[in-house]
Amino acid sequence: MAHEHATSAAHDDHDHKPHGWRRWVYATNHKDIGTMYLVFACTMFFIGGGMALGIRAELWKPGLQLVDPGLFNELTTMHALIMIFGAVMPAWTGFANWLIPMQVGAPDMALPRLNNFSFWILPFAFTILIGSMFVPGGGPAGGWTLYPPLSLQAGDSFPMTIFAIHLMGASSIMGAINVIVTIMNMRAPGMVMLRMPLFVWSWLITAYLLIAVMPVLAGAVTMLLTDHFFGTTFFTAAGGGDPVMFQHIFWFFGHPEVYILILPAFGIVSEVIPAFSRKPIFGYETMVYAIASIAFLSFIVWAHHMFTVGMPLAGQLFFMLATMLIAVPTGVKVFNWTATMWRGSLSFEPPMLFALAFLFLFTIGGFSGLMLAIVPADFQYHDTYFVVAHFHYVLVPGAIFAIMAGVYYWLPKWTGHMYNLKLGTLHFWLSAIFVNVLFFPQHFLGLAGMPRRIPDYAVQFTDWNMVSTIGAFGFGFSQLILVWIVWQAARGGERARARAWEGAHGLEWELPSPPPYHSWETPPSPGVIARGAEH
Amino acid sequence: MTLHDDDVRARRRRAVRTAIVLGLVALAFYVGFIVMSVMRSQP
Repeated sequence: MAHEHATSAAHDDHDHKPHGWRRWVYATNHKDIGTMYLVFACTMFFIGGGMALGIRAELWKPGLQLVDPGLFNELTTMHALIMIFGAVMPAWTGFANWLIPMQVGAPDMALPRLNNFSFWILPFAFTILIGSMFVPGGGPAGGWTLYPPLSLQAGDSFPMTIFAIHLMGASSIMGAINVIVTIMNMRAPGMVMLRMPLFVWSWLITAYLLIAVMPVLAGAVTMLLTDHFFGTTFFTAAGGGDPVMFQHIFWFFGHPEVYILILPAFGIVSEVIPAFSRKPIFGYETMVYAIASIAFLSFIVWAHHMFTVGMPLAGQLFFMLATMLIAVPTGVKVFNWTATMWRGSLSFEPPMLFALAFLFLFTIGGFSGLMLAIVPADFQYHDTYFVVAHFHYVLVPGAIFAIMAGVYYWLPKWTGHMYNLKLGTLHFWLSAIFVNVLFFPQHFLGLAGMPRRIPDYAVQFTDWNMVSTIGAFGFGFSQLILVWIVWQAARGGERARARAWEGAHGLEWELPSPPPYHSWETPPSPGVIARGAEH
Repeated sequence: MTLHDDDVRARRRRAVRTAIVLGLVALAFYVGFIVMSVMRSQP
């Protein structure tokens, strides 16, 4: 009887959570799964970052110093695969898990068991991928694009890589299905679409992109697999196949993938800038339409990655102009973020600092992208360090700075503790300075003709490579400050208020900090929704 | 405001239905691109 009473009391306790390893292995709670995604992404960020430091150390001076060319190629390939599929994408899924149910007034994600499965696939996928570096013949070394015929020449690592990519793709697709189903079916009554926070909107559109393009990548690598093991010749010219077809299929996935990495960043910046400007976002609806337009355009620009492969003039013109068109909705977003700050009551806590740096530095990456969109110019820039500088400006001070802005913004909500703002500001300044020391000189190297993906280079490129390597180590080691800040906040400290930031709006800020283990089991009232929806 | 049991059940049904449709869309993209490549590889 006493036991029965205790069980029933525990069941009634809405903050009841399982303990020990079962809490994590059998996790179905969106907050726990979100935490696991974020920890996993952070781990991968340091593994991929360690590989980047290996690459930059080798490029400190001309000649071969630390790694042989084969390992160098493996490092460039694995660095990209790990950062894209292991760090940035899982980080966004972590944010989605933590925030979307709280922001739309839902008790959890719509499909919690699928959610658990989506996450737990990932550690296996990356164990297989990283493990492929230790089999005979070494790991994948043909670049993350896996272009045949080079990728077909890989050793025992080939099937491991293909299997790992299939697993990552399955995880992403299941995660995307869960996001769409949650947003479309689990919103609290009164939370109409155009009241949803922009982070939710950005993820909804990202999820549709994922469902459309991850299967395309899966199809492409399945065909690589059959070419390698089952005698098909999809991409083998000797058998009547076409290696260029792989490039088309790959980039039909690959270009939207770039927006999969950056659209949630737009969502986060659209939450942070209004909060620290103490003003609603300027042009909420145009922000939604701009994200949707960018997503649509991302499907019709893929061949701008292939201008030097050769295509008819009409094709070059179409893909050049379509690519340039993306600058229009992107410009709308940059204008709206700037207009949100106009005459706002600004303050510069770490989330705002990272969001502002995102605004400036992502725009630099956007501009160099416009330069690369110009066909005759691309003939010069293609496969040089200019391209490396371009996409790293989009992905590091773009996507990763937005992740940092988001972590600093919601950390008090997640942990229930305020963190050390001075340390956060120090982390920002070190990151912002070193990221430019790291990547800006790569524009000069590329324009001077240094090719990408080489372990050795002509002596005239030495100075800027040395500067870039100093930036890499400075940036890499600065990130340890973030780990320390998160660790400290998770362990304790000053209690955070429910609305940790004065200007923060959204349903998640109506919940206590940290939120109860099961939140919004009773949907929020229309009044609470209206207060939270003051964009 | 609370949701009635019927509402919760209906929502669960809608969620599963939407998930199945999206899963089929993903499968169609996967199979579609492979079939397209097979067609293109015909001599």
